[in-house]
Formats: sequence, C-alpha cells, structure tokens
Amino acid sequence: MTDPMLDIQNLKVVFGTGRLRVEAVKDVSFQVEAGAAYGLVGESGSGKSTVLRAICGLAPVSGGRVFVDGRDVPTPRDKAFYRTVQMVFQDPYASLHPRHTVDRTLSEPLAIHREKDAETRILQALREVGLGPSFRFRYPHQLSGGQRQRIAIARALILRPKVLLLDEPTSALDASVQAEILNLLDDLRRKMGLTYILVSHDLAVVAHLCERLLVMRHGEAVEETTAAALRSGQASNEYTQSLIDASRGYSREAVQPPPAIAV
Amino acid sequence: MAGAPPFPQPSGLQAWLLSAEPNSRWQARFGRGYLGWRSFTNNPLAILGLGIVVLLVLVAAFADFIAPYSPVVGGDLRTERLLPPSETFWLGTDDQARDIFSRIVYGSRITLFVVILVSVIATPIGLLVGTVAGYLGGWVDTVLMRITDIFLAFPRLVLALAFVAALGPGIENAVIAIAITSWPPYARIARAETLMIRNSDFIAAVKLQGASTPRIIMGHVVPLCLSSLIVRVTLDMAGIILTAAGLGFLGLGAQPPMPEWGAMVATGRNYLIDQWWVAAMPGIAIFMVSLGFNLLGDGLRDVLDPKAAK
Amino acid sequence: MTKPLLDVEDLRVRFHLRTGTVEAVRGVSFQLGRERLGIVGESGSGKSQTGRAILGLTPPPGEITAKRLAFDGIDLQTASRRTLRDLRGGRISMVMQDPKYSLNPVMTIGEQIIEAYRAHKRAGKAEARDKALAMLEAVKMRDPGRVFSLYPHEVSGGMGQRAMIAMMLVTDPDLLIADEPTSALDVTVSMEVLRILDELVSERGMGLIFISHDLKLVSSFCNRVLVMYAGRVVEELEARHLRDAKHPYTQGLMRCLPTLANDVRPLPTLDRDPSWAQ
Repeated sequence: MTDPMLDIQNLKVVFGTGRLRVEAVKDVSFQVEAGAAYGLVGESGSGKSTVLRAICGLAPVSGGRVFVDGRDVPTPRDKAFYRTVQMVFQDPYASLHPRHTVDRTLSEPLAIHREKDAETRILQALREVGLGPSFRFRYPHQLSGGQRQRIAIARALILRPKVLLLDEPTSALDASVQAEILNLLDDLRRKMGLTYILVSHDLAVVAHLCERLLVMRHGEAVEETTAAALRSGQASNEYTQSLIDASRGYSREAVQPPPAIAV
Repeated sequence: MAGAPPFPQPSGLQAWLLSAEPNSRWQARFGRGYLGWRSFTNNPLAILGLGIVVLLVLVAAFADFIAPYSPVVGGDLRTERLLPPSETFWLGTDDQARDIFSRIVYGSRITLFVVILVSVIATPIGLLVGTVAGYLGGWVDTVLMRITDIFLAFPRLVLALAFVAALGPGIENAVIAIAITSWPPYARIARAETLMIRNSDFIAAVKLQGASTPRIIMGHVVPLCLSSLIVRVTLDMAGIILTAAGLGFLGLGAQPPMPEWGAMVATGRNYLIDQWWVAAMPGIAIFMVSLGFNLLGDGLRDVLDPKAAK
Repeated sequence: MTKPLLDVEDLRVRFHLRTGTVEAVRGVSFQLGRERLGIVGESGSGKSQTGRAILGLTPPPGEITAKRLAFDGIDLQTASRRTLRDLRGGRISMVMQDPKYSLNPVMTIGEQIIEAYRAHKRAGKAEARDKALAMLEAVKMRDPGRVFSLYPHEVSGGMGQRAMIAMMLVTDPDLLIADEPTSALDVTVSMEVLRILDELVSERGMGLIFISHDLKLVSSFCNRVLVMYAGRVVEELEARHLRDAKHPYTQGLMRCLPTLANDVRPLPTLDRDPSWAQ
C-alpha cells in the first residue's frame, strides 16, 4: 500500500496558557492520498483554518503528528518542506506585498531556494495561471481581485510543490471570478498531479473541488463524508444537514439549526 | 534586459510612465514615482517646501560663487563693524566686521552637513531597532524597547548637552549627540508599523517560501516602514536644525569662527536692541529652512503615507 | 394605485476625482412599496452606492443627482437638513455589513439602542429602556437583560448584527436598507438573522431594500430583484422568476455558481459584453 501524501494524526493546536488557553483544534485526524483533493468545512471558529496553519508551521502543533509524503515534519519547517507544501491565502488583497511588482513576488521564492532560470520560470508560472507576460511588472494595485489570486497561485506553484493548501481561496472574490479560479484550480490539479487541502465555509465550493471532506465544529471533527454524499443530501449528522440546508438559500420553512450563537 | 524598449519620444513619455503594462522593472518603478510626483505637485505648499530645501542645497553647493566676502575674515574693524544692511553689505555686518550674508551662505553648508549626517545615522538605527523588535517580539522586543524608552525619557537638548560635554564641543560631536538622541522616535514608529505588517498574509506567504528572518525584515518589512519614517525624519529636520542651532547658541556646537547659524544668533544677542540684524538674519535663515523641511514633510506624507493619503 | 414608499428616478452618483469623473451609479430608477426589493450585483456594480445615495450617505467627493428621489412624498433632494436628520434613523434605517464597525465600541449595546430611540422619539429614560429591552427580545436575544449591558466587543458577530438590527428597528422605520447584512456572518447564523429580519419586516409592514452580491440568497428572501451591472439596472424581475432571467448577465451570474445539486465542470464563466454597460 502506498503512503498517503498527507497524514494528520490526532492533531491538537493550543494557543495561549492559563486562563487564556484556547484549544483551537482538538484531536483531528485525516489522510489525503497523492493527487486527491480534501475539504475542510466549517464555520468561523471551527478550527479549519488553524489545521492548515498548523500543517505549514504558522500555528503550533501542540499534540499529534503531521506526516507529509511519508516524512514526519520537522519544527521549525525546513526548506525541503516548503518545496513540498505551499499555501494560497483567502484575501488576495492582503497576500501580495503592496510595494512589490508581480516579478518581484514571483522571483522571491526562486531566490530563496537558489533556483536558476528565474526569467523563464516566471513567464511559465504566469502562463500556467492564465496571465500573459504583460502582467509581469505590474504592482498589485494595478490588478483585479481575480488577477491577484492568480498571481498568488502562481507564487505557490513556482517551486513545484506537491501539496497546495488552499485557505478560502475564492471567498473574497465575485461569483463570476470565483468560477474562473475554481476552474483554474481544477485544471492545475489534473495537469500537475497536485494534492489539495481546501478550507471553505461554502459547501458547494468544497463539493465542486474535493472528493472527500471533513466537517468541523468548535475545533472538533464532526463527520467525514464525501462530495457525492453531500450532493445526494445525505448527512448522518444534524449539523452537516443544517449546513446543507443553509447552502440552498433562505427558506422560511427550514428547520431551526441547533443554536450556534454563543457569547 | 534584452526586451528593454527604446526610450520613447518625449510626447509619449507620459503614456510610457502611466502604462498599465510596464515592460520592465524600471518602467514600473518610474511609473510609480511619476504618480507620486504628480500627487506631490498638487500641493503648492509642498512645492514651496521643496523649493526652499533645493535652494538650501544649491546655496551650499555654490557658496564660493554666491558669497561676496569671506565668511571668516572680517573687514576693517574701525569702519565696517556692525553696519546695518546696505548695498555693499546686503544683510549688514557683525561685530567682527564680517558680512552676514556671506556667513549665512557658508553656514548653509554646516546646516546641510548636520541634517544629512543626522538622518544617515539616526534613520537606519531607528529602523533596525524598531523592525527587529516589532518582528521578533518576545524578550528581544522588551529589551530593545526599554533601551529606547530610556533614550526617550531624556529631553533631547539636555542629553545632547551631556554628550557634547563628555565628547568635547565641536560640530561633529554635536551631530553625534543629536543623532543618538533622535533615533528613539523612529524606532517606535518602525515598531508600530512592523506590528501591523508582521501578521499580514504576505509576510506569512514569504515565510512559507522558506525565507530567513533577516530576509523578511530587510526585503519585506523595512520597505513598508520606510515611507512613514522618511516623512517623520523630514518633519524632524526642523527640530534637528533647531537643536544644532541651540547647541551652537550655547557654544557647544560649531566653534568660532565657523559661520554656524545658531552660534551667529548667540553673538547677535549682545547687540539685540541696537543692531538687531546681527541676530535676526541668521534667525530668519533658521526659520526659513525649518519651515521648508516641515512643508516638504507634510507634502511627502500625503504622497507616501497610505493611511493619511486616503 | 397607492403611492409608492420610495420613488427613485434616474439616480446618478458621480465622484469627481483628480483623474476624472467616475460615475458609480448611472441612471437607476425604481419604485418601492411595502415589499422586499433585492439589489444584486458584483463589486463595483454601484449597488451599495445606490443604497447610500438614498440616505444621503455618499462619501464626500460624491455628487448625487436624480430626476426624482422621494420618500413617502418628501423630496429628499430639496428637504431641509433637519427633515433629513429626522428621516435618517427615524423613518429610514440602514443596516451595514459588519457590526464591528457600525456599533460604537465604548457604549453598551443597551445605551446605543436607547440613544437611537430617544434621538427620534420623545420618550423618558424608563420608557426607552423598556423599548430597548423589548427590541432585544424581538431579535431573539436569549438573555436581553444581559446583552443590554454588554459592550460590542463582548458579543459574537451574529449577536452584534442582531443588536444592530434591534437598534435600527427600534424607531419603527418605514424603510430599512440592509447592505450585505449577513455577509460577515456564518451561514447558519446568517439564516437566523435573516429569519429575524423576515419576521420583523412582515410584522411591521416595512419596505426593505436588501443589497447583496449573493443572487441565491436575494432570490430566496426578496419579492423583487434588481440586477445591477456597471452602475445600471440591467434587469428587474420577480424573485421567483429568477430562473427565467432574460439578460445574459443575470443568466451568467446564476450559472457560474457551483451548486450541490449538479456537478458542472468546468463551471461556465461570464463573458462580459461591453454592450451591457451601455
């Protein structure tokens, strides 16, 4: 049997100590095979983004283990890790350095990893995300939201990683632009054999991009299910069911969801 | 670069600068600079400030050609002492029978020397301390910021006085003293900016590319702190000139017969009632240059500081 | 036919910038009765500026012109400042996107509701307090007395938005303008907020303008929908007939959303036709 590309075992993330101690993620485990796309779904405070951040070292791993490509990841993460795992952030307006041109943004990872052929690789990266060479010397403020997100994807892919962590990559974008980015992500995965972990609050987006997904709530895994099960409206869990209902739009008759609001 | 475009015709220069699709790094940079310049020129007071500062630089550069007399060697002490402004001596003469205009012209060199040296010394120190403290946080932050607080707690002129007293009077020591006392505010500004930047996604993104801490600070944090710091330094120039003049006034800065403006005001103090021009003329020069830097700083803030700009 | 609550004809919002004049809203006309009207569009379509212009909240360099802009027979363009002040927050209220930025951080929620009430109604302290508590109860706060004395940062986003709605509805307005009232909230929470809004609007017979980017949500919540593109209304239709939309932009917006119901791959994208903006 082949090892999964990503193996998360009993991941626990704790912020702060004493009275300020917050368990953001409690005992979450999942596995993702190479070339698969896996979704993490939940509302704010569910810990879904924290799982991503813990994988790539932006949040502390307080317990459990993270294996990437069969290797127990070191803390702090090493350069080899960053060549394997890259991330795309939610807000393309915040994830690009405002004073750096596209060229600078894309050449930075190549410079850090002492890669050659920066010139050709930058142009190739732009081509891969559907942008022409005319975008190369623009500043972020000269780009639309969708174009910025494409640049962020190009930046993540320029080191040829195997795993892409996607943190709500389309939630800050307009619907029509979201469709373009989703199509692009779909394409890239097929062409490059990438493994995705997608975090989103939008069930339809997750079902579109991923085969399997994990529903999270209050830092805990609620249910692991498949996109197909979501589409057929089968959810064994009440909470998942309320998410499915909410994603269909407002309905006066819908069942009252379990109280989600806490002070 | 192979694909660099031939320099376009002057008529197309604006189009080239404002192009939404720059063809090279330089075009992108120039375009950005040009946009900044355009919004800067919309502010007449800022242009006035820039004019004064440019004038200061020009006067300092061409002092030998502008000044009609020597700034150090006076004329006939019997007939040319303490003369009021006239056609021969435009701004009058001082107690050593020296032409005040010539002294002010040469004095601009000293002012410029002080201003440049202080900013070259204080800005990088403040920037480095502030960004390192802000980015690393933890005990590094605590230690660096407490040191900064200690420096901040002293009144600037008093601390400068102490340094000059320890190092001995002289313009170089005055510069060092002023520089040492002026970096703490810059460190505070740089730290505040860094605290806002360090949790942003673009810093997280470059961390995830495996960038080292020095690389992130120098390449990604510093450029964003720089503009607000430049604004602050420019606005502080007036204060620096005044401190230098104050040290000169107290006899701890430039030593006679150097034509330092503050020292000139100090000499004029004795003749304030009857020969007002001796103190007033260098005083006006100090005032003008301080005002120029202040106006320039305000204009730069409108262009460079994104928070104030919109 | 009864007189419409709000009558807007040829509304234009222009921003005179150094680089030229930008027209954010270019000739929008509609009438609103005691019904729910959705305004949908992507970012930059002018939907929010339309809502702000009605209340006269267009930010400074902006200029509003309209052939007619009348609320309940009062011409909003010629009305005195005093009249406008009385209308705003009194008979017309607005709920913004993020409660974090629209609630005063240094006042308790209760104080803010009382202040909103007493700014428009002659009422004693005790009466205003009762009204505020009743309002908090109306937005389904579980413990109104406790929420009353909390500061905005002490409550969650959904509670903050409900407090905001309570504050906006305490004066019994005739018209409520809600600009993306639920986009900062989680889906299940936003459904609760919508349900509360739904009940209050129905009970009190208010007119509602619901501004959102979410076509699906608007069509399920409103009676009528205006679809805006580049500052213009490209299509106006009954919400339940959204599937039969005529305009290619509306159709494109509908189709490009991934849905749980069907798996379309690749998702159809929107080819913008320059003629839509004409």
